[in-house]
Formats: sequence, structure tokens, C-alpha cells
Amino acid sequence: MRRFILKLWRRRRMERDLEAELEFHREMAAARSNTIPLGNTGVLKEEAFDLWRFTVIENLWRDLAFALRGLRRSPGFVASALLSLALGIGVNTTMFSIAVEFLLSQPSVSNPATLAQARIGNSSHSSQEALEFIRRANVFADVAGERNNSSVNWNDGQETRHVFAVEASKNYFDVLGAPLAMGRGWNERDADEVAVLRFEFWVSNFGADPSIVGRLIQLDGRAFTVIGVLPEGHRTLTGYGYSPDIYLPVMKRSTDLELILRLKPDMKIGAASGALAALAERMDNQMPERGHKYAEGVLVTPMEGLARLKSNSAAMPVVLFFVTLLVLVGLVLMIACVNVAGLTLARSSARKQEIAIRLSLGASRGRLLQQLLAESLLLSMSGAALGFGFALMAAKALASIPLPLPFPIRLSIEPDWRVASYAAVLAVFSTVVSGLMPAWQTMRESLNADLRREGRMRGRKVLVAAQVALSFLVLAVGALFAQNLLRARELGPGFDLQNTIKAESFLAPNGYPDDARIKLYWRRAVAALEAIPGVEGAAAARLIPFTDSITYGGQLTFADNGEKASYRSNWNAVTPGYFAAMGIAVLQGELFSGRQADEVIVNDAFVRAYLGGRVPVGTVFQRKGAAPQRIVAVVRGTKNSTLGEGDLPQIYDSLEQVVGQYPRLQFVVKTAGPPASQVAAVRAALRQLDPAVALEVSTLFGAIGLAFLPSQIGAGLMGSIAMLGLLLAAIGLYGILAFTIARRTREIGIRLALGASRAGIGAMVLRETAALVAVGAAVGLGLSVLIAKPLAAFVIPGISATNPLSLAAVCAVMALTALLATIAPLRRAIGIQPSQCLRLD
Amino acid sequence: MAKSSTPALLQGTLDLLILHALRRGAMHGYAIAQTIHVLSTDVLRVEEGSLYPALYRLELDGAISAEWGLSENNRKAKYYSITKRGVKLIAEQQETWSRLSEAVNRVLAS
Repeated sequence: MRRFILKLWRRRRMERDLEAELEFHREMAAARSNTIPLGNTGVLKEEAFDLWRFTVIENLWRDLAFALRGLRRSPGFVASALLSLALGIGVNTTMFSIAVEFLLSQPSVSNPATLAQARIGNSSHSSQEALEFIRRANVFADVAGERNNSSVNWNDGQETRHVFAVEASKNYFDVLGAPLAMGRGWNERDADEVAVLRFEFWVSNFGADPSIVGRLIQLDGRAFTVIGVLPEGHRTLTGYGYSPDIYLPVMKRSTDLELILRLKPDMKIGAASGALAALAERMDNQMPERGHKYAEGVLVTPMEGLARLKSNSAAMPVVLFFVTLLVLVGLVLMIACVNVAGLTLARSSARKQEIAIRLSLGASRGRLLQQLLAESLLLSMSGAALGFGFALMAAKALASIPLPLPFPIRLSIEPDWRVASYAAVLAVFSTVVSGLMPAWQTMRESLNADLRREGRMRGRKVLVAAQVALSFLVLAVGALFAQNLLRARELGPGFDLQNTIKAESFLAPNGYPDDARIKLYWRRAVAALEAIPGVEGAAAARLIPFTDSITYGGQLTFADNGEKASYRSNWNAVTPGYFAAMGIAVLQGELFSGRQADEVIVNDAFVRAYLGGRVPVGTVFQRKGAAPQRIVAVVRGTKNSTLGEGDLPQIYDSLEQVVGQYPRLQFVVKTAGPPASQVAAVRAALRQLDPAVALEVSTLFGAIGLAFLPSQIGAGLMGSIAMLGLLLAAIGLYGILAFTIARRTREIGIRLALGASRAGIGAMVLRETAALVAVGAAVGLGLSVLIAKPLAAFVIPGISATNPLSLAAVCAVMALTALLATIAPLRRAIGIQPSQCLRLD
Repeated sequence: MAKSSTPALLQGTLDLLILHALRRGAMHGYAIAQTIHVLSTDVLRVEEGSLYPALYRLELDGAISAEWGLSENNRKAKYYSITKRGVKLIAEQQETWSRLSEAVNRVLAS
């Protein structure tokens, strides 16, 4: 500290002092004819000054200014380097900002760190009685509840539309402290019929009408008062960009809600978990429920950032997807850096004289390295700034592309410190990758004149090989995803996609208050659909595969010998016609007769996994907390959520027997001809049944094209990134090869003059290039094999990143690129007159 | 480059020699070099190339202080004098030096 102040205080004076002091010293020495050698006065001054200055910073500043002057003289070099870096850094920053927003977005609530999500009784949703009980216990600052996947039928005066809604407890807005753009959130004193709208919903459906607060809207046939509008870019508790349109106080007493705890300020997640477990035990004592233990599976998880992500195992594949994406764009940046390194190297050979002079004047290696790196730093920083700007636009544009998903996902991408620091890190990374090698190379050349030519060539050879290896890797990954897409199209889902229509009805709760009314609706609907001419069969189901899935797990007890098994199975409830309409083969037994309540159908995977050699039809088992069930039939399995999944066990209950009918119903209709022509007829039949029911009708293929989405997006994105990488690599290869060959023009001229044939020289150069490409490809091949394993998570089983065919294709593309990059400069080199090139250089 | 008759100064010993010379009172750079030269019976020669950086470093460390004054021949000269901190430093460095030289002697004697 004292040194720091001294430095500040006295450094100005110091230069004059030293000058005078040395002058005096010399005079004294001369007067006494003393022959003590003077030494190098310049170095002496530098050394003494260095102590008293903030040398590193001052030098850096000078170097940057010098680099700027140097760069101004070569605009072509700057433009191509900047373009490469800006693209590389831009693509990286774009992907990073999307990944961060998607995976780590912070909910728009006050103090999200003290919010937590709670599970009790092994279930993500709990009854409102349970919520009240926990709330009254006063262990937490407050407890709210929400159901984020509700939907309501909104009538805009002309048409009934189905919109996604969040139903939440009365204290929801008080607990969350979410800011509003207009109006306010509801509280415990408000009536039941109030609504808060999402900003974008308000803009697109109400023309951003400023007088919306206080207006009435028709939801499920009832009038709701709009009391508030959320701000633009509101982020939900759910995260992952999930953005439902309307928020309502929970409509039915029987609706189960997700528990949201607001922790007291000093309470940690672990403590909250313990406190909740104790509460759950009290609940089991005071308000026991048959077949259900609150104290089982109690879990409290944070609602923001990494912790939320970690607690959500379903997000793992998405995380992996983004990681792969980031690695891939990282490789593209590496390619860009190698390009810039090549350019810098080419440029620095023109500077070798300058560097030699500096070295002979006594500049240290470190000092020179710093000066050479300053140029790279300047380029990388400007590249990063450009790339950051590019990323802001690209990320917004990408995020605004609507995804064909069955639920609303909307990312609101805002630049924040995380993205900015990522860009900064990338800039430093690019400086090192693109600058260090050429700088080092240049210094070595200048230090050792004998090695000059050979050394420089070696540096370039390394660059060519690195370039080839990197692009090989990028291409291999791109090819993998392209292949994945192709295969996904071929793979069947296990049911008929071609001749099926899917219809979905959203029943308004006030018209369908109980099971009987809901059952009546779907019975009449199935009958009406079957009556349409050209329809071969129709059925109702709780779910359609690929649009939604429900899995159950727990304990299975067999009635014959009391044997227990732990099971995990997909679940659905269907009418007997479902299997015919979906084209799912019945392997054994008879479908639901509808006469007995205990009938259940399972698939072949279930039989293999749990029945342990029993004759399936007639086997009676009991799921924990349910009545015993008898298997009446075994059907062939279907895929349920992804085409890539293996065979999963499946249980089908009879929809007729389901207690607690769900007001959202699915119908499948098998048509004789092309299904598209029947969509209108299906819609008309259902509308006639009840015009107040919101409908969504489409061909099954259209509805679940979504299943192809992950691989489609993956293939599309990764494919375009791979193309970008290839393009950059091709430009870079061309640049380096062209320069290398141009440097050899003189040598080629001599060979020609000595009688070598042009063909022979061409072959020689091509041979050398081929050797480099081969080395690079071999390294790339090794790397692709290394990354093949982690990538296997995204691709359909049976596709491998090391598939010889795709690797051969990648090799061919690389070879072709290198050949094209070689031919033009080579032709120029061998086309030259020997006499002419001898005068060169 | 190196002259065989003049032993090169060991790293760190120059500081000790300067501080030791300054114990006789304040003096300018040239006088310090001369003092060391004379005290070592003409064996050690301090080049200004190493003397001044060492002086500036010691000043920054606070072991010596500097002041402009008039020299014996009435010229402006920078006079260095040892500080309390410098005196302490001598004690430490002397100790280190004697340990080092003893050790070297022992190695050479064996």
C-alpha cells in the first residue's frame, strides 16, 4: 500500500531525478578518470523506472495503441478476422443466452431465493385442505398453491377458444410478490371471478387496450373481471419459458394444487424439508386419507437457478442438449480462432524485421509476446463486442419463433451480466487461442534465423491439421443429428398415424360438474363421431401418446400368491374402441366388456416386466391404494413420449370406470380415406353436441409431429451450425493453404527452372496437403469417437456417431473442401513463369 | 563480457553493501560506488547499471531515503541516507549473508 502511494506521489519527479543523477555520476567519474563501465544507460533507466511505474498497465495501454495503429493499416485482415470472431462469438453468446434463459431463468417474483416448491405424500400436487393445514401451522412465512396446467374456454364474443391458465390460491399474489404492469393481483378479499392476464395475451387479443382493468371477459361461460395485467416478459414459477395466458383464483374446491412455500428469512431448504415432514406426520394423524400417507415422499426444492434444475430430473435431456449445442458452437469458435491465427501468422511474417530489431534492442521475450498479443486482444474484444450485439438480435429473433408445442413456451431474452461475462470470457479465450500460437511462432522465427523457414512452415502445418480436425468433429456431430432426423421419420410410434384424426374437448366445469355429466358427454361424442360417414371407428381416451403422459409407480400385489413387485408404468384410460381406432394390435384376451369394474388391459412389456410367467389374462393384481384389477387383455406396446424410448410397461384402465373424470377429453377417429378431409366433419359433429366446448381437431400426424421436434430442432440447429463451421473452416483452409503455396512460389519457380514438370509439382503439393488433411482427419476421427458416447443420449438407439458411412461422408466432404482450397492457389503457382518468380520474395 | 578479475556480485549482496556503506552517513550514488570499491580493497566494482536500480528499489522499499543536496564540488546531487527500516534490514541481511558464506566455505573446504 505504501509503495502504491509512493509510486503515485513521486513517479513524475523520478524521471527528471534519474537523468540529473546519472549526469552527476558521469561527471564525477570523468573528473577522477574513473573507468567503471557505464553500462547500457537505456536499459538502466528502463529498469529503474519499471520499479516506479504501473508498468504492466502502462505497457498494455501503449501496446493497444500501437496495435490499433498497425491494424488500421491492414483493413482487409481486420475485416476478415473480425467477421470470423464476431460470427464465432456471436453464435456462442446466442446459444448461451437462450440456454441460460431456458434453464436458469429466475421467476418474476420478489426474493425468489426464499420460495420453495414442496411435495408431500409422493405427489407434486396436494389438496387444498392440506395446503390450508400447512398454512395454519405457521411454520413457513406463507404457503400458496398453483395449478399451472389448467385451461379455460375463453369466448371472445364470437368464438370459444381454449387458453392455458394458471389456477392459484387466493393468497398467490401476496405470497409471490410478482410485479404487475397494470392493475393489481387478487387477494383474499376479492371475489372468485377475477382474472389477471399475461402481457402478450393482452396485447394480441385486446389490442393493448389501456382500459382493460375492470372489463368483463367470458371464461367457461362465466363473467370474470380483469383486475390486472402482468408485465412484459413475466417469468413463471414453472420456468422453462412456460407462459400461460390467464391467471385465475382456483375454481373448484377439489382441484389439487402445487405447494409453494415462502420460507421465513433465516430458514434453509433442508430445515424447511424437515419442518414439512413433521407437519405431514401430524396431517396423517389428524386428517388421515385412505391409501395415502402425507409423510411419504416429502421433498422441498428451490424455485430458481441451478438448484431447481438439479431437482428436476426430467430436465436432464434438455440440459444435455444445450450442453452439446454449446460444445458444438464452441468448436465453431475454435475454427474461427484458428482462422484468425492463420491470418495473423501470415501477417506477422511481414513483421519479422520489426521484431528482429526490437529483440536486438534488448526487448524481452515476454514484453514482445505481450505486444503481439495486444493485437489479438484488440481483435477479440472488438469481435466480442460485435458478436454480443449480433447475439442480442439473434437470440431475440430465435426466441420469438413459435415452437409447435402443445403448451405455450416463450422465452424473454434480455442481456444480463451472465451473458456479458460469457462474451468477455470468450474474448479472452479467443485472444489466447488465436494469438498465442502465431505470436510464439513469430518470436521463435525472429530469434533463430536458421530455423526460420522450416519453423514457419511447421506452424502453418499445425494450423491446417487443427482446422481439419475441428471441422471434422463439427461435421461428424452434424451428420449424426441429420441421420437421427431421417431415422426418426422411419421409426413407427406403435400406432397408426396415417388414417387417424385426433380431437380434444375442453369441458367448462360449470356445465360438467360431475363424473356422470362428463361420461354422458364422451359417450354421446363417440356415438356422434362413429356416425360420420367414412369413419371406421372412434374412441375416447384420457390421453393421446406423445401429447401428454401419466406414469404411475409403486407397489403391485398379486392376488394368487400375495407376491409383491415394485412397478413403474405408463397409464391411460380409454374406451374399448381405442385399440381399433389407433391400430394397436390386441395380442390376447377380450377388450373391456364394460360390465365389470375391475377390468384392466396391459401391454406386452408389462407382462414381461412384472407378471413373472403367469398367464396374463385372468391374473389379478392390486395397485397400492386401488381396488384389485383383473387383466382382460394384452395389447402390443406403443411409444409414449419419444420415438427413441424403449418398450415401457403400460396399463389401460377403462375410461367408463375412472372415478374423477377429467374435463379434458381426447378422441381418436379412424377414417377410411385421408384423414385431412374428415377434420371438418369431426369438428362439426362435436360442435353440434355442445357449442360451448372448446375444440381442437387435427390429424394425428399434424398433432404429434411434435414427437419429431427434438430431433428436428436438433438436426436443424446442429446442421446449420455444422454448415457454418464448415464454411469458416473452408475459408480458413483456403487462406492458409493459399498463403503456404504462395510462399513457395519461389521454390516452385526454381524447380520448374531446373526442369521439373508442372504435373509433378502439382502432385507434390497435393500430396503434402493430403498428408496434412489426413493427419487432421485422423485427430478429428479420434475426437468424434470420444464424444460419441455422451451424444448417444439424444439419438435413437441404433444410430451411432461412429457409423462408418457417415464418417466416410464427413471424410469425403473434408477432402473435397481441402482440394478446392488447394487447387486455385496451386494453379496460380505452377502457372507462373520461372523467370518471373525468381524475382519474387 | 564478464571480466575474470572482477568477481560478479551475488544477487542480493549489493543491497547489503549499499546499506552498509550508508551507515557512515548520507552520500550520493557515486560516493556509494566509490566507498564499496575502496572498502573492498579495489576488488568490487559497482556498475551504475546495477547501482541505480538498486537504489531506487531500496528507496521504494523504505530502507533508504533520498534528498537533493550540494556536493563537495558545489554541484546538485542526490544524497541517500539509511532509515530505521534500513538498519533493521542490515541486521537481517548480514545474518543471511554470513550463513550463506559460511555454508559456501564449508562446501568448498570439504
